[in-house]
Order: sequence, then structure tokens, then C-alpha cells
Amino acid sequence: MSNEIIQEHINKDYEWGFITNVESETFAPGLNENVIGALSKKKNEPEWMLEFRLKAFRHWQTLSQPSHWANFPYPKVDFQATSYYSAPKKKPELKSLDDVDPEIRKTFEKLGISLEEQKRLSGVKSNIAVDAVFDSVSVKTTFRETLSEKGIIFCSFSEAIQEHPELIKKYMGMVVPYTDNFYAALNAAVFSDGSFCYIPKGVRCPMELSTYFRINTGGTGQFERTLIVADENSYVSYLEGCTAPQRDENQLHAAVVEIIAYKNAEVKYSTVQNWYPGDKNGKGGVYNFVTKRGLCIEDNSKISWTQVETGSAITWKYPSVILKGNNSVGEFYSVAVTNNYQEADTGTKMIHIGKNTRSTIISKGISAGFSNNSYRGLVQMRKGATNARNFSQCDSLLMGDKCGAHTFPYIEIKDKTAVVEHEATTSKIGEDQLFYCKQRGIDTEKAIALIVNGYCKEILNKLPMEFAVEAQKLLAVSLEGSVG
Amino acid sequence: MILEKTQTHQRVIEQISVLNAKVDFMNDTALSNALTYLEEKGIPNNKNEEYKYCNIDSILKTDFKNIQQQFNTVSTINNLRLNDCLTLVVVNGNFSEKLSDKLVLKGVKLFSFNSLENSGKQLLTAAAKSNSDSFIALNTAFSGIGFHLKILKNEQTQIPIQILYINSASAESFVNPRNIIELEENSSATIIEHYINIGTHKVFTNFVSEKYLAQNSNLKSYTLQNETSLGYGVYTNQVKVNKHANYQNTTVTLSGRLVRNNHQVILSEDNCEASLFGLFKTSNNQLVDNHTLIDHQKPNCQSNELYKGIIGDKSTGVFNGKIFVRKDAQKTNAYQSSKNVLLSDEGCINTKPQLEIFADDVKCSHGTSTGKIDENALFYLNARGLGKESAKKLLLSAFANEVIDKIEVDSLKEIIESQII
Repeated sequence: MSNEIIQEHINKDYEWGFITNVESETFAPGLNENVIGALSKKKNEPEWMLEFRLKAFRHWQTLSQPSHWANFPYPKVDFQATSYYSAPKKKPELKSLDDVDPEIRKTFEKLGISLEEQKRLSGVKSNIAVDAVFDSVSVKTTFRETLSEKGIIFCSFSEAIQEHPELIKKYMGMVVPYTDNFYAALNAAVFSDGSFCYIPKGVRCPMELSTYFRINTGGTGQFERTLIVADENSYVSYLEGCTAPQRDENQLHAAVVEIIAYKNAEVKYSTVQNWYPGDKNGKGGVYNFVTKRGLCIEDNSKISWTQVETGSAITWKYPSVILKGNNSVGEFYSVAVTNNYQEADTGTKMIHIGKNTRSTIISKGISAGFSNNSYRGLVQMRKGATNARNFSQCDSLLMGDKCGAHTFPYIEIKDKTAVVEHEATTSKIGEDQLFYCKQRGIDTEKAIALIVNGYCKEILNKLPMEFAVEAQKLLAVSLEGSVG
Repeated sequence: MILEKTQTHQRVIEQISVLNAKVDFMNDTALSNALTYLEEKGIPNNKNEEYKYCNIDSILKTDFKNIQQQFNTVSTINNLRLNDCLTLVVVNGNFSEKLSDKLVLKGVKLFSFNSLENSGKQLLTAAAKSNSDSFIALNTAFSGIGFHLKILKNEQTQIPIQILYINSASAESFVNPRNIIELEENSSATIIEHYINIGTHKVFTNFVSEKYLAQNSNLKSYTLQNETSLGYGVYTNQVKVNKHANYQNTTVTLSGRLVRNNHQVILSEDNCEASLFGLFKTSNNQLVDNHTLIDHQKPNCQSNELYKGIIGDKSTGVFNGKIFVRKDAQKTNAYQSSKNVLLSDEGCINTKPQLEIFADDVKCSHGTSTGKIDENALFYLNARGLGKESAKKLLLSAFANEVIDKIEVDSLKEIIESQII
């Protein structure tokens, strides 16, 4: 009974696995200083950018590939076999939408991402500014004019390097320096594009900003960087979505996201991650090794991460918040669903430095098939984080007896006035819960949907409406009515 | 880094082995495994995930520069005896028959490691594998003359057995006490392991105990650690619990410069149960690190953990509780809770409650909380005429009592109650 719907979920094919036939210009696989030079030149980057890349690359060469913390073996990634640049051949730097390659346009239409302004996304009428990244480059950023009236800068990272070098120089690597970790160093060396967003003082961004990542070409890795700066008293809600075609090989996605929030600013970052997870036997799929971190640099700022993780063969992702300003707030809401042979290892770090800082962590894991789903997190109360407060909750739901659910919370407290609470539970859908529903005339399938929905609702409620719709679909169990 | 690591363990081995007689009760494979393991892994530093918050390598490096293995003789233990128990005494790592009570209890047998039965020899290193941990390896290589305590089939011992570990050194020393505690089918016993230091110099205790609980047996064990600021130690308990058996341990740490408890319980058959309780109060620059692992291997087992810490001054408390639920262990019920009070600005508490679950029909939960003394509660008591200090004491003892109440041996409970707050 309950197994059927789980099976259905497990058997469900990856919808976004198609390949777009567009002529691409792709670098030959391999990584060395020449490749980085060529990449930088291709993008017509200034000298300082190339230097930054080379510094990161030289540092990266001194590091060894991490593998030790995982619960499972994974084949070492061969960085020389990956191509570090792939772009649709038709130059996408044109002003009008009509100039975007129709194939690419079709691709995004198919994915439900409208590149036409004032159109619909995922069947919901809305105003969303989208920066669409296709393989290594950004193909189109919508609503730029509307946004720039308010002084908001929202463009691709490459454009930002050209047009706002002073901002990039100031903020790039501020929260995630290239020395941070192996994949952050790799990203700093070879990142191809991404999004940049700056919200000026006192501006409340009138629409949701969004980046949509699509890996298309085989044998490539995607390395993008997102940088969001929210100046004093500003607000922005940012969405990120991603898909990739179905391929037998493992593709690498190693992104870096940095967020900086000034006084009274608030940034809300939501992700629906749906990279190709591999087939039923665990073949293929994207390795998603991402470094995401926010810095509440001044008082009363707030950064909130919400994520729905359903794709990728392996996910390592720990969106974190450094709570430096007094009274700053960090939040992390996550639903991670794994099935077949997927491995998700995700969680957060909340570093409390300022006084009266608060953080909330709610993580829900659902594992099915042969997958493993881990929560790994750190809550650190530094000395001087007077009256800091944290509440963490991580729950796991197991479907089937071949999957695993794990929690690895680290809690380090050095301030006596700090209060930290952590709780975790693991359970399966209770026979009694099912029985209760069935007794009331709700069939098993609907009952499971109801229970899973209830289980995740806390998180889905945090998503912007458009994403909640997509997230619902992704959970692959028909959830009840409207969420969000 | 690697070079330094090698140096510490080689120096320690060299310095310990000077005066130690060859350990001839240990089987040769275990011995050679132990030495190979030590050579490969050395003594763990904080790069080792299990010792992240407890850098024993650097402590050995700075506090035990010159291990000389010089001990005082201990001639009397009268004031250390718990009056309602029978007492066994281990002095500086070796079992002392002279100071110990005669075990007049029916159904209890005791063998010194020098006169082990065959069955005892087989149990030695069966649960504490010499190639699983550096400290077990070190103990295996230089084990003191311990004993094998055996409770015979169908025997219910009524009188608790106190095992007193006395260290008294006249120069920096390193001792390796070891024992085996075996409960045969349908037997039950109560055991108190009590560690103290009466010497003038630092002693590092590297303790290993293997506890075997056969079907339907029931062991209540208590650990009281009170080794003063001269006491350092790694205390390893490897417990194997069989069908329908029940293991319970309460560990109370009152003093000790470094206390690292490695408590591993394997629930190896169905329907068995384990409970681990702990209480520690730290001050000065103490480091108390409680590591527990409960390994649910078979269905229908239960485990329950409660650890409480009161951290003062510049001390550090660590709790790392791991629960494994293996594929077969359906219907597992595991509960874990860790609660801590931080009293000072310079104290530090690190907790890591860890669940690793590979079966679906289980109920597992853990909770941890850390905070200061509740201001409202303090105010309430102040308003009713209690001074600040006594109000604080009252609240702390209420906090501690949840664990102390688990202790069923009165004399032990009294000692702890009088010293904890």
C-alpha cells in the first residue's frame, strides 16, 4: 500500500532530462593556468580578475579532494576530464528577447521559465525578474530596466565585472574567500558566470529576483557565482532553480553564493534544486558541491535560506549565516528528498558573534530507495554573543528499509548567556496515522500525500508562492490544495 | 604534524615500557595488532573527528613530558571503602589481592589476569579490539594485571561490588588498568567503579573494561571519577549485551584534569536494553569529554541516554552521543538527551548528538539544550528570602538530581550528593 506510492515516486522519470540542440562553443577538457587565461580572455575580463583566478587556482592545487566526511564512497572527480567553459555559440549579448537563440528560449519555456517579461512562471501569474544561465553563461536577464529605475543592479556576473568593477572588487570573496574550501577555490579559479545583485539603501525590491541554472552540454561542469549585497534598510527575495539533462556521466556543479546584509537589511534566498539525480541504478547524475554563505555584517540584519533539495546524485551543501551584527537573525529551512542511490548531505552553520543574535534551523529529510540523507550542521556561540538564541530541529522520514537517515549536529557554546536547543527525530509514516485517515474515508495514497505534506508544510510555507508550486511538483506526491 | 604525532606515541611507549613487565596473559595476535595499530595511528589529536574537542596528543605532549612510572605503596584503604559494598582494589593499574575483600559472595568468581581460565582468555580483547582505537591498543600492549569478575549462571548478587582504582604516584606516571566483567545467563549484579588519586604527581589512567552480559542478565554499573587535578584519563568501556539482557550505567565525574569516557554498548541480540546516564561538574581548566556509542544491531532493542553537565570557570565539557541503528534493527526505540548549564564566561560546551539510521521502522530522537541558570527561577527564590548563592545551589542540585536519582546504592549517592554542589 504505502509502498506503491513510494514506488511511484521512485519510478518517476526525471522530467527535465532532455537535451537542447544548440551549437555550443566548448573548451576541451582539462584544467591548467592556460585554460584559466583563455577563459578570462574569452570573457574579456580585466587584469585583476585574472589575477584573482590564478591566485585561487594556485591555492586549489595545494588542496586535496575531500572525501572523508561522507557516509559513502564516491568516485573521485577527475578535474582534467571536465570542460570548464561551454556557451551557446550565438552571442547572447543582445538587447531584445528575439535575439536569444530560439532553441534556448524553447528550453526555458519547456522548463516553465519565461524569458518574456510579464509572463507566467510555473503556471502562476507573477512578476519575477529572471537571470537565465545556460551552461557557462547568462543568456538573458529580464526586467532590468524596471529594476534599474529603483537603482537596483541585477545582471550577470560577467556584466557586473565590466560595469561595476568597484562593487565586485569590494565584495567578491568577502564571505567565501577562495581559501575557504576545495570547491570554493576551484570555483574562484574557473567560475564562468552567475548573477550579481545590489539593492541600494532603503529600497524594497518590488519583485522576486531569480536565477535559473541549466547545464546542457555533456562533459562540462558548471561553476557559477552569485553575489547579493543588500544595503541599509533594503529587502530582496531571491530564487534559484536548476535542472540538467539526463546523462550517464556524472557532471559537476560547484557554485558559490555570497550574501551580504547591511543594517536593517533583509535577504531571503530560496532554492529549488532539481539537478539530474541519476537513474534508478545510481548511474549518472550531478555532483552538487556548493558553498553558500551569508554575512549579517551590521545590526538588525536578517538572512534567510530556504531550500528544497530533490535532485543531484550527491549533494554537499551547507548554506550558512555569520551573525556579526547585533540583533541579527539567521534562518535555515530545508526539505531534502532522496531516492534511488542519491546521497544528500546538507545542513547549515550558524555562527553567532553579535549580541542578541537569533537563529532558527528546521530541516526535514525524506529518504526512499537506497538513498542516504544526512543533516550536518554547526551552531557556534562565540564569546560575547550575549543572549544569543538558537533553536534547531531536524526530522527524518524513512520510506522503505534500505535507505538511511543521519544527523550530525555540532554545537559549540562559549557564552554563558546563550541558549541553544536542538532536537531531532526519525520516524516512518505511522500505521496508526494511516489507519486514522483511512477510517475517515481518505484512501492510502491521499493519506500519504497528506502526511508528507503536513511533514514539509513548515518549510513549503516559507517559499515564495511560485516556488512552492514547483516544490510541490518535485515532492512528487500530489499534495493537497494550495501551499504557500 | 605527522612527525610530531609519531614522536608523542613513541616517546610514551618508550617511557611506559621501561618498567613494565612483559604482558604475558594477552594473546600474541592481539599484542602485535596493538603495536602495529599504534605505530600507524599514533595518539589522536584534534584532526581526528572523534577527538575534535579533546586533543590528547597535545596534552600528553605538554603535561607528560617525562613519564617515570614511580609509585607509592598503598597500605590501607579504609576511608575509601563504601560501607554497604564488597571492595576490590586496583592500585596503580594492578589488582591488589591483599587490599581487596575476600569475595565471599555465592556465585561470584574472580580470576587475576595471571591465573585466567581459558574462557577468560577468550574474552580478553574480544569486545575491546586492539586494532580499533589507539588507547585500547596502548592498554593492550601494556595492560596492568587486572581481573576477570564472573557472576555465575542464575545467581542474583545482592551486595554491590565496589572496584576501587587508586592511583598514587611519586613522579609522572601512566597506568593501564584493565578488567573483564562477565554476567552469565539469568544473573544480576551491581558494580561500582570508583577512581581516585591520593598521590603527589600526575597520573594518566588509560582504563579498558570489557563487559559481557549473557541472556537475561542484568548489570547495574556506576562510575565515579574523582581523580583530582592530578588525574588524567581515558576510560574505555566496551559492553556487549545479549538477548533480553539489561545494562545500565551512571557515570558521575567530580574531578580530574582530563576525563575522556568512551562508552560503547553493542546491543547484539534482540530485545535487549541499555541505559546510560551521566553527570559532570567541571571547574578550573578541566576537560570532561563523554563519548557514547550505542550500536543497535538487532530488532526490538531499546536505549536511553541522559547526560547532564554543569560547566564553570575555564573548563570545557563535551558530549558526543552516537546512535547507530543497523539495517536489521527494526522496532528500535532510542532516546538521547543532553542538557548543560554554563556558569562562567570562559567555560565552553560542545555537544554533538549523532544519529545514524539504516532501518525504517524505528523511533529515535535526541534533544540537547544549553543555557544559563533561569533568571526567573532565581528571582522567585530570592523573593522568598533565599540568598543568591543558596538559590543557585538549590537550582543546580535540582538539575543534578535527575541523574543522581538513578543511583540505587545509598553510600555512593551520599558521597555524590555531598560533593557535587
